[in-house]
Amino acid sequence: MTHDPGSARTTPSDAAIDAIRDAVVRAGEARTPLRIVGGGTKDFYGESLEGRPLDLRGVAGIVDYDPTELVIVARAGTPIDEVERTMAAAGQMLAFEPPRFAPGGTLGGAVAAGLSGPRRPYAGAVRDLVLGAKIVDGRGRHLAFGGRVMKNVAGFDLSRLMCGAMGTLGVVTEVSLKCLPRPKAEETRVWELSSDEAIRRVNEWGGQPLPISATCWHHGTLAVRFSGAASAVASAVGRLGGAPVPHADAFWESVRDHVHTFFHAAMRGAHPLWRLSVKSTAPHADLGGEQLIEWGGALRWLAATPRTDVAKLRAWAVAQGGHATMFRADELLAGSFHPLPPVIGALHRRLKAAFDPHTILNPGRTGWYA
Amino acid sequence: MNAPIAGSRRPAPEALASVLGELSSRFGERFVVNATIREQHGRGEGLADLAAPDAVVFPETSDEVATIVKACAAARVPVIPFGIGTSLEGHVAAIHGGVCVDLSRMAKVLEINADDLDCRVQAGVSREQLNAELKGTGLFFPIDPGANATIGGMAATRASGTNAVRYGTMRENVLGLTVVTADGRIITTGGRARKSAAGYDLTRLFVGSEGTLGVITEIRLKLYGVPEAISAAVAQFADLESAVRAVIVAMQMSIPVARIELLDALQMDACIRYSKLDGYEIKPTLFFEFHGTDAGVAEQAGLMQQIVADHGGGSFRWATATEERTRLWKARHNAYYAALALKPGCFGFSTDACVPISRLAQCVMETRADVESTGLTCPIVGHVGDGNFHLLVLFDPKDAAERARAEGLAERVSLRAIRLGGTCTGEHGVGVHKLGALVAEHGEAVDYLRAIKRAFDPLGIMNPGKTVPE
Repeated sequence: MTHDPGSARTTPSDAAIDAIRDAVVRAGEARTPLRIVGGGTKDFYGESLEGRPLDLRGVAGIVDYDPTELVIVARAGTPIDEVERTMAAAGQMLAFEPPRFAPGGTLGGAVAAGLSGPRRPYAGAVRDLVLGAKIVDGRGRHLAFGGRVMKNVAGFDLSRLMCGAMGTLGVVTEVSLKCLPRPKAEETRVWELSSDEAIRRVNEWGGQPLPISATCWHHGTLAVRFSGAASAVASAVGRLGGAPVPHADAFWESVRDHVHTFFHAAMRGAHPLWRLSVKSTAPHADLGGEQLIEWGGALRWLAATPRTDVAKLRAWAVAQGGHATMFRADELLAGSFHPLPPVIGALHRRLKAAFDPHTILNPGRTGWYA
Repeated sequence: MNAPIAGSRRPAPEALASVLGELSSRFGERFVVNATIREQHGRGEGLADLAAPDAVVFPETSDEVATIVKACAAARVPVIPFGIGTSLEGHVAAIHGGVCVDLSRMAKVLEINADDLDCRVQAGVSREQLNAELKGTGLFFPIDPGANATIGGMAATRASGTNAVRYGTMRENVLGLTVVTADGRIITTGGRARKSAAGYDLTRLFVGSEGTLGVITEIRLKLYGVPEAISAAVAQFADLESAVRAVIVAMQMSIPVARIELLDALQMDACIRYSKLDGYEIKPTLFFEFHGTDAGVAEQAGLMQQIVADHGGGSFRWATATEERTRLWKARHNAYYAALALKPGCFGFSTDACVPISRLAQCVMETRADVESTGLTCPIVGHVGDGNFHLLVLFDPKDAAERARAEGLAERVSLRAIRLGGTCTGEHGVGVHKLGALVAEHGEAVDYLRAIKRAFDPLGIMNPGKTVPE
């Protein structure tokens, strides 16, 4: 029961992993919950933060990065910035563009939260890029799932199961991720368009061999980023027109990290910011608040107001093939996540019981098995 | 964690008889116990893995599948989902008897949403049928395992194919599923949105579960626009290592090649003879295909041509005409039959090692040397762009010693891949044949395969004896 997969016990991180395993074992014996902490930059996300903090920042460092391999292996507490800086020096990137929200976010937190930024529909979500993960389970065992290969069908896809599980199935200690090269060329163009026209155009373009790498509509302006080989970007921009924008990189970072004025305004209000994941062609609907639309129409952010009717909002998201999450509010509230159908809920409870039999890992964070 | 998995034995005869009686009266002519039909359903295209089920049922709806599973669950009778029988690792063998659920009558394309770039199909739709029905929409579905498999089977085995470098595998292309759970309830996972369900990612847990967690009955898939331009090319090399190194460089430069396929000299010889390819030499060969805009394709191909030249590859032979391209890729898809024709009367099976790209040359070269030490005839084909290659191991079924050498070689290939940081199976799956290697690969984490199996299928009736080492 003390197997430590694939590493020599020499670094401070190894001692830190042992400490995490011990803390999990003790919490299991005492049936006291643990709150898994990285940089704390996503504490606003989810339902409740309960339990004694289990800090992963000591389990840090890039374990293996050979750019020619197109894979990076890093411990969970490694700051996202460090990972991105290291990869950028080799001309590569974390293609899912993890939202950072605030300085200090960790790679483990990005994987556990399962959130991806503007490039996601075009380069893959975090779960598409995760090749392997190590976790400490609810019994204190340190286990490795998946590995470093691009294709692997050797058993159930357990490393991906950790993406977006919010730490409820295991304490992620290390991840291996597929790296993509930074595009040779990148250009952003904008058009003044209504929301419906913007949704129509980005979907039409999405079906064509265009090197689109991000879209964002807000307040009558559609911005589209093109990335790739210089000739492909130039030919797309030449064909589609639009106006160039200054400081395009800063603009996309502001969308990615929620520092764009839309999010600032939403944060200042007394009402929650909602995240609606829907089919990309869903027509624009008045949901009682301003919206910012990303991912070719598939992601709609809603700054709620007193006019917002939660039941109506959820029903609309379901009718559009998706779901709605209360993403950020002044306080953590039960019911943030979309309710699960009963049979799916039962499977969640059984998965939770298999990985975390004493229900000690981030127990109140999701409400999926309450 | 280490409790045995339930249901790993044949069902009690009286329980089985009762279920068969119930299904017979419910399904009439769509319930079959004819020995020939049962035997056809007891094997895939892999090696000698016949184990016929006790009956075959042909449901037409998810509700009917649920009816079958409920009846089987009540009597603890195994349920084996079956698409078209092209799996390679014994996935459909009814090793503990039971009821085969043949999904071939669930072969409707239910929706094509051209604007959303997605579709919803029943599990029995084959990949060629789907692409035929997409003709005229400007869209296509790129995942192409060698056989004309069903989409349900491809989802269940997390299949990939020659396009995986550019378009990913079933893992990245299934948006959602309808699944009949092991207790006979119908659930849907995922949906039309990109990240379309709250909660754990059950879609990706069912994709690749090989029928051991439930029966996949409907699949929602991503679709892609047919590229504006496609061109193919063939390059031949003096030695295998140079060909592999050219691929590694291309991957590291991230040239977005849609397909890169390797054939070693022996396989090329087989293909030249079998598919009547004119004008090629018996040398290690790479097949390329480039997708994109006219400008993009020209740029990719130009870069690739340079890499090939840097690695001593001979002339870059173009195939831009659809007819010639189709002929080349058909020859690649028929590589297995071409290889079998090298030694008439022999049986063959395929290894499936996948390693990190930087270890690919070492793995292929060590494997080549290993093959030579056995004296067996084993051509190599590879989806080398993602580190995956297949050794087609040919042996005389009447020669027990040769068969033992063949099996020993295959086991060493799996262990070599694991030693080099890779996996024993990049795309064929576990089934029954890779259970041993799986333990070597996962170590203690195998317990979690068992734990998930028990969480989803506490009675152990779903395709027992596969995927999860007992």
